[in-house]
Amino acid sequence: MESIPGGSLVLFWAEKAESEVDLAALVESYSRLLFRVAYSILRSRTETEDVVQEVFVRVIERRRSLQAIRDIRVWLVRIVWNLALDRRRRIRPEQMDESFAETLAESGVPVDERLTQAQRMNSVLREIERLPKRERHVLLLSAIEELGTAEMAAVMGRSESAVRALLFRARTRLRARLATRGGEQ
Amino acid sequence: MKNADEAIGRVLAGLRDAEAPAGMERRILKAVAARSAVPTAVGPRWARRIALAGMIAACLFIAITVIHRNGHPPTQARQRVVAHPSTGLAATEHEASLLPNQSIAPIGKLARTTAPTRKVQLISIADAVLLSEMRAPSHPAPEAPLTNEERLLLRAVHLGDPQVMAMLNPEVRARQEAESEAEFQRFIEQSGKGDPE
Repeated sequence: MESIPGGSLVLFWAEKAESEVDLAALVESYSRLLFRVAYSILRSRTETEDVVQEVFVRVIERRRSLQAIRDIRVWLVRIVWNLALDRRRRIRPEQMDESFAETLAESGVPVDERLTQAQRMNSVLREIERLPKRERHVLLLSAIEELGTAEMAAVMGRSESAVRALLFRARTRLRARLATRGGEQ
Repeated sequence: MKNADEAIGRVLAGLRDAEAPAGMERRILKAVAARSAVPTAVGPRWARRIALAGMIAACLFIAITVIHRNGHPPTQARQRVVAHPSTGLAATEHEASLLPNQSIAPIGKLARTTAPTRKVQLISIADAVLLSEMRAPSHPAPEAPLTNEERLLLRAVHLGDPQVMAMLNPEVRARQEAESEAEFQRFIEQSGKGDPE
């Protein structure tokens, strides 16, 4: 058994625990996915990066129980999802990225057409925000194409059939509202 | 309808394709390393438990030492707890001035104590100051001036007897006292002459 100086006992154990989790590999593999999941809720790059960072802090804090986790990807998405929802309650709407809708407009069109498209995208985003909470959540999660229905169900803590029904209702409701708004305009 | 679907699809695609800021991974690794460098966050669980147990043991040792010291016969400052015979509630009395580092039990605890025997109590310094202030003799307020009604009442009750009024004059009172003393001396002398023995 190797001898450890008393003063560096804590450091030794810390280093040993650090080696159990390859944090750099985890960050490289999942940070972009987690960023997209959080960004769909927050639409603010700085807030989203904070949330993703918080996820990996939690990974370090719970590194000893990581081996018991069956699907690390769903686990991470679930953490970032809950943290983003929590953060969304605290940020004001003006903190969200207002230029996001402009980036969705086509680039090779005249300026006035581009402006119209940006307004259209903005109205879609507003209508998504007005959807019932569960429908909105399932719609935003469906935007992340890496997540299947089973994974979305695991993240939301609901059954797959419930997720499918919620997604159908969300799309139908959103479509109807946008059609109504288009008719009004 | 088709336009709505297209718009929804484009928004969702925009959310899906959101690019992470450049250097995010490096910043995350740096921040997480800084957070995990805090000693309390990285220690193994059993080591933290041992440290916690050590702290509890130290606290117990200090508490036992303090109790042991206070268990000795009281020296300068002491709280005596006596049961009030009529109410059954306990009252305390100071036997000496409190030392700064001595403490006595709070009033609420004393009030619940019913043991008639002597008992040393623990009170914080702040409580001791409050207790002494509470027990300090109250200063009577200066007399308020008479109201008009009181003055009228005094005037009505006062008889205005000239003899009494004269007694208020110190000269007249001194003369009368001198006269009464001279009369008493005369009486003593006369009674001494009249005595056959």
